[in-house]
Amino acid sequence: MKEKTKRIIAFYSMISPWFIVFLVFGLYPMMYGLYLSFTNYYGFNIKKLKWMGLQNYHKVFTDSDAMYSLGRTLYVTLINVPLGVAIGLGLAMLLNRPVRGVGVYRTIFYLPSIVPALASVLMWKFIFSSNNGVLNGILNLFGIDSVNWLGYDYATTSLLIMLLWGAGGGVLINLAGLKGIPRDLYEAASIDGASPFKRTFHITVPLMTPVIFFNVIMGIIGSLQIYMQPILLNGAELLARPIQPNYLYFVHAFQQIFAFQRFAYGMALLWVLFLAILALSVVVFTTSKYWVHYETDQEG
Amino acid sequence: MRKWTIMLTTLTAAAVALSGCGSSNNGGNASNGTNSSSENASNETSTNNSGKSGEVVTIRTSITEGELSKEQIAEFEKEHPNIKIKIETVDATKLAAQLATGDAPDVIRILGVQDLPNYVIKGIAMDLSDRIEQSSVFKADDLLPITDVYRFDGKTVGEGPIYGLPKDWSNDYAIFYNKKAFDAAGVPLPDPKQPLTLPELMELSKKLTIMDGKKVKQYGLATNSGAKTEPTYDSLIEYLLSAGVDINGEDFGSINFDNQAVKDYINSWLDGVKNNIGPNSVNNDQTNNGDLFFKNQAAMMIFGYWYSGVIRNDERAKSHLEDFGMLPTPVAPNGTRVAPTGSATGGIINAASKHPEEAWTFFEWYFGGKPADDRAKTGWGLPIFKSKMDLLPNETVFDKQVNEVLKDEMEYSNQYMKMNPYLAGGGGSIFNKYVQPLLFGKSSLDEAIKGMTKDANNAIEEAKAAAGQ
Repeated sequence: MKEKTKRIIAFYSMISPWFIVFLVFGLYPMMYGLYLSFTNYYGFNIKKLKWMGLQNYHKVFTDSDAMYSLGRTLYVTLINVPLGVAIGLGLAMLLNRPVRGVGVYRTIFYLPSIVPALASVLMWKFIFSSNNGVLNGILNLFGIDSVNWLGYDYATTSLLIMLLWGAGGGVLINLAGLKGIPRDLYEAASIDGASPFKRTFHITVPLMTPVIFFNVIMGIIGSLQIYMQPILLNGAELLARPIQPNYLYFVHAFQQIFAFQRFAYGMALLWVLFLAILALSVVVFTTSKYWVHYETDQEG
Repeated sequence: MRKWTIMLTTLTAAAVALSGCGSSNNGGNASNGTNSSSENASNETSTNNSGKSGEVVTIRTSITEGELSKEQIAEFEKEHPNIKIKIETVDATKLAAQLATGDAPDVIRILGVQDLPNYVIKGIAMDLSDRIEQSSVFKADDLLPITDVYRFDGKTVGEGPIYGLPKDWSNDYAIFYNKKAFDAAGVPLPDPKQPLTLPELMELSKKLTIMDGKKVKQYGLATNSGAKTEPTYDSLIEYLLSAGVDINGEDFGSINFDNQAVKDYINSWLDGVKNNIGPNSVNNDQTNNGDLFFKNQAAMMIFGYWYSGVIRNDERAKSHLEDFGMLPTPVAPNGTRVAPTGSATGGIINAASKHPEEAWTFFEWYFGGKPADDRAKTGWGLPIFKSKMDLLPNETVFDKQVNEVLKDEMEYSNQYMKMNPYLAGGGGSIFNKYVQPLLFGKSSLDEAIKGMTKDANNAIEEAKAAAGQ
């Protein structure tokens, strides 16, 4: 057997466990969902499906709830992603310093990302509570009146605070990126008299852009799919409708599928979301050549 | 090359997420996706096996572990060695997915009032009329009229074939009071023989609400944990029943919220929210309502008879049970007295069950056998049999007060709330969508009524079309 053939067999053998699982549990349901999005499937008529063409997709763009929730989702994404990435990087830079007990700090800042969403939402509900809530207690200490954090005017702010509390989740990958920056660059810059500020913005940030790029892309994907936090922040169960400013796109799709049993329409909503994610990713990807710096040649 | 690798990773991640709607997202999912089974389930055979003589079949049920104990299952399995019972923990989303894929349990736990017509229309519920009629356990003259909540002829609840039975029921919109909170406000208890109207309830709640500066020291009215003291779709339907108003069009083919009774109901509750009578979305009080009630910080709770079980068993109430009691279900002004069940939690047999005989054996035992006696004795709900009413607790002053009010309520419990089956679980969502802005003064009542009517009719039209009607 030729060496090349051996390598090909080895390659496919190694990726096959994940690939087979992806085909069966990822790609197949996804494609089946795509097919259903062109039908009138409502959960109980699988044996007598009717082909509806693009009707469900047309509905998505004429559904005021869908468009409203898409707008709110983009708004949340626009704030959550840049702030989340910046906080994650900032924390990683702090936690990259040779401070005593840094391991404990790293654990503490990473902790929110491993707390189950349900538990963290319950905790935040009490923090945001108007009656004996921690946040209002602090405001009251400074003589500021209590605020309804989960009401119409502050609900999205509260959601963003809760989401950004988990920004430490990016610490691991950021730390790995920071460890990869050669020390001699900093030493050379110091010898040349570069201030810490300049070293950060002329060495650390440029060399971290591939990691930032990755975090931005994953952040966009995650933010566009938020659904449980806004639901549970205002309600007690998954079919509860969140307060209107937190009525996000994925929540709308979830409601259509599970509250109204509009499975086919829900699938269409999700495919439109998929295309939106793709479009945003392409935009970020296209702009990356202007701000992402690789140490190696990108032509190959 | 590296950019393309990242792009490919992005696409794959998005694709995986897309295919995983309803499974997990952003750190987990509140829906419990794990199945739990009885300890005896290890001997189970495939549910695809037929129940031929000598073969052991497994009956899957979504009745919860709290409602069907391991001991009860063991007793049943001892009496019926050919049947194993497996409890499946499901929530609304998992059950919807199971039903959609034809993988739902054999005996499905449902809320009779909210779910039954919808399940019948979709062909999920098996017609049990003949089985119940021929049963030696369920006798027509012993079953309470409340069991007719599980009858539906496609147009009217309470008529036609019977598709299931409640495990128990309650007059879910009645009121429980805490006398200590009444005393603190210097307000006398209302007459337990005479139901309050909704506006009267709001006025009473205002009098019972005590402020300490800007903070609420005591609320007048609270409701079940997680819910808020504000308008809800279910309690609107209950109010309309008393007002004698049906907002559904013929055969549930449409719905019209543009009705004075709907407006009166919403306005009454808006008044309550404005006056801070209980924890609501505007005051954002996240305190557990049960805690408020038992700590004398809420004077009344909206609950059915089953809540007497909670009061009897709460350590904070046990020493002074005589301070608690039940008041009749409030009514609409000039409305008729009603005391309907708001859920009648029970079960149906899945029409697609591969073991209908064994499922029925279990059904008959659970809903009419020893478990029914066990349930009645605890007082955590009302039995569906006249003959089991005597099993309800009747020892303390509290028990006797509750039973006295209950006697009256029973006479008005044979009317059923008219839930539009085509709205499925979406009625509440549509109602909340338009009521929330009202609570915060962000829209007008007319806008809300117009919006909910439009959305609900769109949903009904689509559901009917999908059902081929």
